[in-house]
Amino acid sequence: MSGTLLLQQAINGLTLGAVYTLIALSFSLVMGILGILNLAIAELFMIGGYVGFTLIIAGAPLPVALLAGMLAAAALSLVIEKIGYEPLRNAPLITPMLSTLGFSIILQNLATNLWGSDPLQLPGDMLATRIALGEVSIGAMQLLVIGAAIVMVAALAFVIRYTTLGRALRAVAENRDVARLLGVRADRILLIAFLLSGLLAGAAGVLISLHYAAITPYIGVETGLKAIAVMVVGGVTRTWGALLAGPLIGLAEVATVAYGGSQIRDFVVYGLMILILLVRPQGLLGGARSDQGPRV
Amino acid sequence: MISTYHAALLADSGILMLGALSVYIILATGQLSLGNAGFMGIGAYLASYLTVEAGLPLTLALVLSALAAGMVGIVIGFPALRLRGIYLAMATLGFGEMVRSFFLNFEPMGGAGGFSGMVHVSVGYIWLWAGGILVLVTLLERSRLWLEIRATHDDETAASLVGLNTTATKIGAFGFGAAVAAVAGGLFAHHHVYIEPANFGFDRSIELVLAVILGGSTVAPGALVGAVLLVLLPETLRFLADWRLAAFGTLLVLVLLVRRQGILDRGLFRALTFRRQAS
Amino acid sequence: MAILNGRVEKIALCASLVLGLAVASSNEAEAQALAGREIAIGAIVPSSGHFAEWGRTNTVTLKMLEKQINDAGGVNGAKLRITIMDDAARPAQSTNALRKLAGDDKVLAVAGPLTSSACEVVFPVANQIGIVSTSQASSKPGVAKANRPWAFRNTVDEQILAQTTVPYFKQTFGIKTVAIIYDAKDATAATVGTKIMPAILTANGIEVLNASDLLSFNTGDLDVSAQVTKLRSYNPDGVVVSADYSQAVTVIREMKRQGLVKPIVGATQLISSAILKAAPEMPIIAPATFYAGMETEAAKTFVSTLTPLLRKESNLPAEIEPSMYDANIYEIVSMYVDAAKNAGITAKPEDLEADRVKIRDYMAQLKNFKGLGGPVSFNADGDAVKLFYIVEGKNGVWTDKLHKCSDPNPAACGL
Repeated sequence: MSGTLLLQQAINGLTLGAVYTLIALSFSLVMGILGILNLAIAELFMIGGYVGFTLIIAGAPLPVALLAGMLAAAALSLVIEKIGYEPLRNAPLITPMLSTLGFSIILQNLATNLWGSDPLQLPGDMLATRIALGEVSIGAMQLLVIGAAIVMVAALAFVIRYTTLGRALRAVAENRDVARLLGVRADRILLIAFLLSGLLAGAAGVLISLHYAAITPYIGVETGLKAIAVMVVGGVTRTWGALLAGPLIGLAEVATVAYGGSQIRDFVVYGLMILILLVRPQGLLGGARSDQGPRV
Repeated sequence: MISTYHAALLADSGILMLGALSVYIILATGQLSLGNAGFMGIGAYLASYLTVEAGLPLTLALVLSALAAGMVGIVIGFPALRLRGIYLAMATLGFGEMVRSFFLNFEPMGGAGGFSGMVHVSVGYIWLWAGGILVLVTLLERSRLWLEIRATHDDETAASLVGLNTTATKIGAFGFGAAVAAVAGGLFAHHHVYIEPANFGFDRSIELVLAVILGGSTVAPGALVGAVLLVLLPETLRFLADWRLAAFGTLLVLVLLVRRQGILDRGLFRALTFRRQAS
Repeated sequence: MAILNGRVEKIALCASLVLGLAVASSNEAEAQALAGREIAIGAIVPSSGHFAEWGRTNTVTLKMLEKQINDAGGVNGAKLRITIMDDAARPAQSTNALRKLAGDDKVLAVAGPLTSSACEVVFPVANQIGIVSTSQASSKPGVAKANRPWAFRNTVDEQILAQTTVPYFKQTFGIKTVAIIYDAKDATAATVGTKIMPAILTANGIEVLNASDLLSFNTGDLDVSAQVTKLRSYNPDGVVVSADYSQAVTVIREMKRQGLVKPIVGATQLISSAILKAAPEMPIIAPATFYAGMETEAAKTFVSTLTPLLRKESNLPAEIEPSMYDANIYEIVSMYVDAAKNAGITAKPEDLEADRVKIRDYMAQLKNFKGLGGPVSFNADGDAVKLFYIVEGKNGVWTDKLHKCSDPNPAACGL
């Protein structure tokens, strides 16, 4: 393979990795730190994308669209917490997982009825600026996605590591009863975690759907599964892990395709995930020990 | 004589119940598998190969597929010992996707184009298997072995301290669960007489888990209740037209909120069976 | 249906035009032969899930047809009742729908299901029960052929279509080399991409540059950048995109993004108005048996009557147009209505089995049914013998470039 081609594929892989990282981040707060399998996040991402997309088509500037997408996803996330999770917080892990699955079915149906099942597309050259770097090129949206992934990982890592909220989150994750004894209001912390995760999912949805310039009610499904894989590979409680694992999975996917294996891509990606889980059950950057995961 | 439509719903329920039981058996030891559609796929493809290409009778084909899938299950069970909770769920999800991807590229059995040529089986035959395995699991629940399984589920460390072989229990559960899933897959293939890799993806795995949790994950007949519910609900919600799936999702959430332990739990099950004995 | 009420006058006007085909052969004596009875027809369409748009436009189409026929005096005096069931494009639900329609609703024949995967499981059941099932969209090779005599498809096999599409593509754009990309998760797309296209391209002297490494992606993939970079590295004269249009949009968008502006060729799955928006400057060549801008009188009336009804439907996008599958399902039910009129059907409960056999035989021997694009009949494989068009999609419209009969004998299509 020629050097230019290799470089272009590396850029492809890194962008895809950034996409996975962005979605994995929304999973990491609720699923990673608190151990709640929230399957509706993939649909929050989709709804956020649709809201942002609709506004951009209507002529709104990117920051407005981004904010609206984030708020819509966050509002839905709060609804899911209140109805789908809060009443079931003491039930085994799978029960809230399935109630969030219920929400994901509802949201897919809602999106189909509101926007149709055909892909909604960005017209013409809207947001399609490209920057040439010698013989390879990179899109402005592509750079924005990569940049946003790095900034959001850093911001989230900071919040979790250094703020009162972060400490409270970690305390609740560690042991809810002890956290309560220490004066942490677990119910409020959970609500905030869902809120943040909704904001992140909405932002990811807007940026990613604008980058690909097309959106359907089902974009969350496949990408969501891969994003969960990225989160697990990175190490669920280590925010920075997603920044490492996203590009790793992205590059692995692109490399499989580049070297003639597009048909076995998923086989390779999930195989890699299982391998990493077996060699380092705590994920690449460590974190909680996997043999102490929440009981099912 | 029931109509062909109701007979088909009954057949679907039987197959889904077997799939749900396969999750139930593994779940009983405290392990959540999101990859049982993979075992189902192995059973479906192997059983179809054996009846169509090798000309074996279906019952023999199902037994052989169950044995083969059971062995795969045991092989999966070993590395699964290292993982728990969400990690195990993810690893099994990955396994299921790998199996699907494998059959997608397995040209001898049609690859993405699917495989057909099976002979349709009757609903009675499906229920011979479904009923038989349900009785088997219910009997197992009354055995000493089940106490060991529950102990492994409730507190693994304590269970191994009192001398129980939790490793064998957990691996055995994976093997048995995989075998039951394979029977479900084989029956699925011979009920629909056509299979393709998309039949055995992540949404199938989730459907199996859903049937167990909705029906009740503490007693085996819960899988029956859950399966019947999951087959009948989409049919009865037809009058809602374009909002059918949203209504299904809403009902799903409501049932979980009202009965988080599932529709059938030990208390209700005991009450029901006691009443039947008394009358 | 509330949405239909406002259109009564217009429909009544158009009904006689459009349905000239249905009433043409009935004479005065037959006109009231079935008075007081009911002709029950079933339909299986995917109104929820991935293909919701198709199922929903199919539903509006069938409601329109039902009203047109009943307003025009019904089927020899009998009322037409079309029972529509949603299968969510899930094969297991499709078979249940067929069993319910045949067993509980006692319909005479069924239109649908839409996808090839659904046909694979529904057709065997149709044979087992003994009821005609005619798909409006399935084009995966040999699906009806394997399930004779009750299975029909009002579509043309992709194998036959590609034999005309490829030479046209070669000639028009001077194509000597191509690269192939296909959706591996979609049974029809995978068959076309890995078997049909490579063979026909080679037979036409076009080199498939990636014959040893056909590029694939999966339904639902957002990112196909790596595949497209690879496509570009082959520097082909044209690109084969074998995928459902909604997935093809993702590929075409990425091609445009990476500056790979080349003519595209594919199967009927590409035909849609959505794909035209992906990259209007890139020509797309595909076969179709119907498209919204078609020139025949019947097609024009069909489009002008149906389009406003579709656009009134709240759950469909505002700029929606009738699809090829709407045309196909409209023809299918019209054929059943013709059969009910002309094949001596009694519509009595005790004659249900005999009536179904009559419809099957009528379909198999169908001659000169006046379809929207010309005469339609069925070959021994159960697939439609009808006119098809090679269309080019560019700058937002499909234009007819060539038409041909799907049968070796052009007279079969009235040519």
